Amino acid sequence: MRNQLKERVAISGVGCSRFGDLLRTPDLKGLSIQELTARAVKEALDDAGLTGQDVDAVFAGNAMVHSSQVPATYSQLSKWTGTQFKAGVHFEAQCSTTNIGAILAAMSIAAGVYDTVLVFGLETTRTKVKGHSPYEREPISHQQTWLWTDMAVNQAYAVAQGYDIFSTYNGLVSLGYCRKYGVSIEDFDRSMYELCRTRRFHGSLNPKANIQETLEARAARAGYSDPYEYWQSDEHNPFVAWPSRLLSLVTTADGASAMVLTRADLARGGKSQPVEVKGFGVSYSDLPWYGEDPTYWEFDRRAVDAAFDMAGIKAADIDYLHTHDCSHISSICTAETIGYLEPGKGLQAAREGRLRFDGDRPMSTHGGRHAFGHAWGASAGSDTYEAVLQMRGQAGARQIPKAPEVSVIHTHGYAMIGAVLVLGSM
Amino acid sequence: MNAVQEQPSVIRSYYEKLAQGKLLAVTCKSCGTHTFAPTGCCERCGSWEVEPVELSGEATLLYATHNLSPACHPRFEKIAPYVYGHLRLKEGPIVQAIILGVEPKPAALRELFERGPVPAVAETLQMDDLPVLAFRIRA
Repeated sequence: MRNQLKERVAISGVGCSRFGDLLRTPDLKGLSIQELTARAVKEALDDAGLTGQDVDAVFAGNAMVHSSQVPATYSQLSKWTGTQFKAGVHFEAQCSTTNIGAILAAMSIAAGVYDTVLVFGLETTRTKVKGHSPYEREPISHQQTWLWTDMAVNQAYAVAQGYDIFSTYNGLVSLGYCRKYGVSIEDFDRSMYELCRTRRFHGSLNPKANIQETLEARAARAGYSDPYEYWQSDEHNPFVAWPSRLLSLVTTADGASAMVLTRADLARGGKSQPVEVKGFGVSYSDLPWYGEDPTYWEFDRRAVDAAFDMAGIKAADIDYLHTHDCSHISSICTAETIGYLEPGKGLQAAREGRLRFDGDRPMSTHGGRHAFGHAWGASAGSDTYEAVLQMRGQAGARQIPKAPEVSVIHTHGYAMIGAVLVLGSM
Repeated sequence: MNAVQEQPSVIRSYYEKLAQGKLLAVTCKSCGTHTFAPTGCCERCGSWEVEPVELSGEATLLYATHNLSPACHPRFEKIAPYVYGHLRLKEGPIVQAIILGVEPKPAALRELFERGPVPAVAETLQMDDLPVLAFRIRA
């Protein structure tokens, strides 16, 4: 494998909807999935100073077709995005979808096939089509969401025999971490609280986040003067997979994201400050995702190594990191695998506030999967959106004081495809 | 008219064996790796030359947690919440499965965690529509 891009490629425009619920979230309530997607696409195209007719190809991502019901997304969305008659395809890599789209776009541009590619992702994990209505939606139950989502997990044996995402992704990894590093369950719980506090703090600074209420404010609203007491209450924050609690998890969301990728030489003269795609790495694995050590995931190691090799960077070069944080403990393990956090010290870093936007190891400054919310096939694009805003100095109240020059975005596409994207300032 | 002959399916074979309390894997003729649960090729080297093998069902339970009620899958609604564990089989493969012999409660799981790895043995759990693999902690 030569593992190199033959031409330089840049992201010249980014867009992202608010994440939330199409039935009740301000800015989203009443939107159709077509209009939701068009908003993100319009923002990305406007950002790049282009229209849908200026791109050569469209890679349209959507994972959970059961709720969105827009397969052949390229053509069904073409008249909503102004991209009629373009080349395109509908693809999915579950929760890595949009960044895998960026990677495919980068490859097609570096190969000399296309100059400019639009990538978008859309997903509804909170609401689904109501009956056969073209615009009415209804809520999805917890069980239905996971039954559909888990169709991306080993159907022959694992799901059929009792596989549970919260156990596999949270509880067992947490226990592996505690045993490996000698962390007490009490210290673990406190650290998870602090990590959630940071993620929700970031969400409170982000007008596009699903949850914009800090953990402290949520606790106060429930009548708790001590937010840690709220954290430990079975009523508000039960164990979903001991020792992991509900508030260390993903929150589902409807949402859409988009980005425009183009030749770096074309991007330089564009409307907005471009960011270069310096490298990427991808590796997938069926269950089990880990061997005897639940903190070490081989496919992540391989994806990170490939991305760093292509980009010519090392861990010490990273200014901003997003790791997939659908499970908060897993996000820490990945950051340690990457080398952004010292192995065994990630929880301590969380407790010390080092992962905040104003800390020395900023992570998930948009709020991550818990506070920003998780719209499977659109989420990786929301992570890239945040990284680009941070690198441009456009992240507002949550802006990292010194705008990052090198950002790394890692996502887990269920179940699992590790995708690592390295972005660099131009 | 001749009856259409049914093709062999390794998935069907796995569950039919499981119903008899047997654990089916395949072993690679090239590298000797066990692929469990079984497929039609070797998960390590990619060789198609694999043969069925029965595993002992002996395992070491490394970690155990629990799930939620209602379960993510309707098949398991009746037994949720249940304990779900991470195990190493005697023959090498790592597997995750339902665990029997410990309550799905923090205190019981904590006690188990503090004991460290414990021996466990495979047991077939008959759900309404499917036999599923579970492991029981040895007394």
